[in-house]
Amino acid sequence: MDKPVKPDLQFAKEIIKAGGESLKKCYQCSTCTVVCNLSPEDKPFPRKEMLYAQWGLKEKLFKNPDIWLCHHCGDCTAYCPRGAKPGEVLGAVRKLMIKNYSPPSFLANWVADPKYLLLIFLIPLLFFLGEMALLGYFSGIEIPRGENGEMSYVAFLPPVPWIDIPFMAIAGFAVICFYLGVKKYWLDLTEGVELKRKDIYNCIYETIKDILLHKKFQLCTLNKNRSTAHLLVLYAFIGLAITTGIAAFYEWVLRWEAPYPQTNIVKIIGNISGIALVIGMLLIIANRTKNAVKQGLGSYFDWLLITIIFAVGITGFLAEILREAEVETLGYASYIAHLVFVFALFAYAPHSKMAHMVYRTTAMVFAKTAMREEVKKEEAA
Amino acid sequence: MEKKIGLYICKGCGIGEAINTEKIVNIAKNALRVPVVAEHEILCSADGVELIKKDIAEQGINSIVIAGCSPRVKTYEFNFPGCFVERVPVRELALWTIESQEEQQQAAEDYIKMGVIKIQKGDIPEPYKIEINKTILVVGGGVSGMTAALEAAKSGYEVVLIEKEAELGGFARKLYKVVPTDDYTKGVLGDVNLEPLINEVTSNPKIKVFTSSKIDRIEGQPGDFDVTISKNGSTETIKIGAIIQATGWKPYDAKKLAKKYGYGKFKDVVTNYEFEEIAKKNKGIIKRPSDDRVVKTVLFVQCAGQRDPEHIPYCSGMCCATTLKQARYVTDGNPDATAMVIYKDMRTPGKLEYYYKEAQNAPGMMLAKGEVIGIREEYDKLIVTVENSLLGEKVEIETEMVVLATGMVPTTKEPQDYLIGLAAAAAKGDEEKAKYIESTKKPEFILNLGYRQGPELPFLEGGFGFADSNFICFQYETRRTGIYAVGPVRQPMNMTEAKEDARGAALKAIQCIEHVANGIAVHPRAWDTSYPEPNLTKCTACKRCTEECPFGAIDEDEKGIPYYKPNRCRRCGTCMGACPERIVSFKDYSVDMIGTMLKNVSVPSEDERPRIIVLCCENDAFPATETAALNRLKLDPAVRFIQLRCLGSMNLVWIADALSRGVDGMLLLGCKFGENYQCHFAKGSELAKYRLGKVQETLDRLQLESDRVKMYELAIDEYWRVPEIINEFMEKIREIGPNPFKGF
Repeated sequence: MDKPVKPDLQFAKEIIKAGGESLKKCYQCSTCTVVCNLSPEDKPFPRKEMLYAQWGLKEKLFKNPDIWLCHHCGDCTAYCPRGAKPGEVLGAVRKLMIKNYSPPSFLANWVADPKYLLLIFLIPLLFFLGEMALLGYFSGIEIPRGENGEMSYVAFLPPVPWIDIPFMAIAGFAVICFYLGVKKYWLDLTEGVELKRKDIYNCIYETIKDILLHKKFQLCTLNKNRSTAHLLVLYAFIGLAITTGIAAFYEWVLRWEAPYPQTNIVKIIGNISGIALVIGMLLIIANRTKNAVKQGLGSYFDWLLITIIFAVGITGFLAEILREAEVETLGYASYIAHLVFVFALFAYAPHSKMAHMVYRTTAMVFAKTAMREEVKKEEAA
Repeated sequence: MEKKIGLYICKGCGIGEAINTEKIVNIAKNALRVPVVAEHEILCSADGVELIKKDIAEQGINSIVIAGCSPRVKTYEFNFPGCFVERVPVRELALWTIESQEEQQQAAEDYIKMGVIKIQKGDIPEPYKIEINKTILVVGGGVSGMTAALEAAKSGYEVVLIEKEAELGGFARKLYKVVPTDDYTKGVLGDVNLEPLINEVTSNPKIKVFTSSKIDRIEGQPGDFDVTISKNGSTETIKIGAIIQATGWKPYDAKKLAKKYGYGKFKDVVTNYEFEEIAKKNKGIIKRPSDDRVVKTVLFVQCAGQRDPEHIPYCSGMCCATTLKQARYVTDGNPDATAMVIYKDMRTPGKLEYYYKEAQNAPGMMLAKGEVIGIREEYDKLIVTVENSLLGEKVEIETEMVVLATGMVPTTKEPQDYLIGLAAAAAKGDEEKAKYIESTKKPEFILNLGYRQGPELPFLEGGFGFADSNFICFQYETRRTGIYAVGPVRQPMNMTEAKEDARGAALKAIQCIEHVANGIAVHPRAWDTSYPEPNLTKCTACKRCTEECPFGAIDEDEKGIPYYKPNRCRRCGTCMGACPERIVSFKDYSVDMIGTMLKNVSVPSEDERPRIIVLCCENDAFPATETAALNRLKLDPAVRFIQLRCLGSMNLVWIADALSRGVDGMLLLGCKFGENYQCHFAKGSELAKYRLGKVQETLDRLQLESDRVKMYELAIDEYWRVPEIINEFMEKIREIGPNPFKGF
């Protein structure tokens, strides 16, 4: 027999605090597992996760890929006869899981707790205001304009050193945090488990294909629209990543400074992606409010990420429009705000809900290597 | 009183068309010599009832045979106080169940003849009346007893309440907190607060309280009990009308759980009862016994030694709610504390479901289904092994303390066990009996009845020692008339249920007193004024009646001659069936009466027309037959039904009488017996079966096949089985062939 199970109600209380208030209501009828379209035939969820959560079995929860295979469709919550909201509980567990795996943990605390809301935005704000002060903008030096005398953010804060260095630093930081977190998670997942498939790269490839097509997400019934909204946001991010790539290419290889004309490919991709982002986020917000009763409104954790992404899109467009309109003060303010939100998005990615991108992918790859979904089918055959 | 018989034949409901009633009128007038015989188109109409009433008034008719429908219908119309009334269900037994018109006529003639003979052989009963005392004795001053005493007093009866402890309060006094009875969201722990109830009892002028007292002896019968109470060495004898036993329960002996749960081996494994004591002693702070440390984790094991054939096989009903309450002692006021409950099933019926839900929501509580299979000690912790949990694997849980939810054992159990052991030893001889008395510790008896059948309430098969007799039909009744059980001594229950129970038992005691005051049977024949009147000059002191009476109504003198206590009697007639000398009779029910009836049933001489007599219980088998008739199920025309008060009153002589006259078979339809018996009189059908075992001798003497007599058990709702049973029996009888005595 394994080592004794130690019910840890303190941990159960943590889950409750993290957004799983309804956890105690579960009476293990397993309706959730039955209605879940994502649940595999073999080791189904989320009934057992609800029990682990009630008993406070932290290890069993964290080392279990199922908490990430859940896409929070909310079908379980909608059909739960007792109002135990399994979807919300798993959301809370994921939040604690992120905190457990992504170092450093103090950052996770900041992101998870509304108490630190001001602080997490104040840090980048002060940082960029500090840059402005160093450039002397607060001591009488006039903000320089572009080569042709137009309003230019590149002239306002030249990428080198004021933008590229800090952003590359935080991106690097995020990557390191993710690397450490995923490594630990993968070791925990695979501990004592025989990986049935050895072609790990194929698994990764298949997973990414699934993600790009939103194959799993589309299985949700109650909340089908959410898949479209999420897909839109995902492709917007990809578009914005391409935009950033081209911009970097212009700047570093062609030595061509921004601003670029609206007809340039980089602007076209950027603007389309930006619009997709804003529309996608609007759809997400609308879906969440519409299904709040059935599916749960979501936690602070969810809304923080929604707010950051939405704000990135809005401030981005605002800065662009104001620049074109030559509205100086408001334009620069919007640009600073945009930088603050992009900073928050990147810097806190390993600790905010943004981390789902990495941990869920890891869990999905694991599920493929362990062939969790195939087991039953083989048996049936 | 001189009997004057009137026979009234109803022609309604199709009887007139199917039956030649004129012929029956002639038989009654000429052959049976019935002075007044009348027919009516619809006897239950105002006109028909008036006809009977007129005859009562003008011609002095006092014994009435009504041939028409079942005695279970039209009871309001055919109610003639002071008259001896026999209803003959011609409609059901002749019309509805028989197809051929010739057979219908024959059946109607037979049944009406039997009805007339019954009335001719019987007498109008005169009630047994003695001077009675209406005081109610309540034994046990717990919540059940106090409530019963108060309810009886409020209804105007004098009450004597006796409690063995120095203070009233019973088990509730030992509790730290109770499960509140109101809205659980306002608080999950209620104060015990017994004072208002105790004050109400002690200040009630109609209630006399004896504390630190015991019953030395109870003699007599309902309405006239002599109860001797001893207090501090002095005794007092009081006249009592009826008795309520509210002596409650004791926790199951947890020492028997040593093997399974390590009780006694590990100091920190305690029972729920001991846990309550710990909480009460420390005012809610839970310190474990081994090192007096305040504990943060407690694991509760539900159904410890309950619903377990090796210990107590039943559910005590109160432990689930009690555990949920006790878990609060652990978690309330201590946010770091954890109370874990491992249960087989969580049984919180009714409003308690909300209490359960409230507990589910408590963050410090963990309620989990599973089965505890062992407990061991590791350093200063206990490790509990749980199987069949919803985790799907065997788990081990660490805890500082374990509480076993042990169950309720009624206070009646110990004396019963002792007496059962004593009877078994006595059956092996005097030497064994003496050895048993010497070697076995005599438990404290409660009632100390001066009854021939023993000093306590009798043992009930499948009753686990609880003082109940027929929980389906007659709650509170014990098998000692005039003694009613209430609260957990009757069946496992919680305090709220016990309070409700107390009201019921108080009403039963009052009913008993009022019935005996009027010379009426207490129950279930709650209208019956007849009672057994043995002709003792012919008694051979065989003691069968005193032994077989299901209610211990018959005592014996030194010579073994029975001494009937009619107020203890329920009028089932078991003694009448038991008596080999056939000396026990009721005014309106006797061996001779039924014997004459069955001797007068027609026995066709043709071989292909057999005749069967069915003796059936009037409480279950007969109503089932009537239901079969109501559903127009057809029965073989060979059968003739005779209703008995109880199959326990079946006397073997009837079988000999019938078979020697040429009747081809006898069928007995009685209630189910055994652990889930349905007999109104507890043992009737069982005794009939037992007697039937001895019928072989009679049949051998007559050189008849034993298969000619058969007994079936039939429940009141199994009406569809009636034709099946009869067909099965008829097949056998046709196989055996006609009775050779036919035609003699």
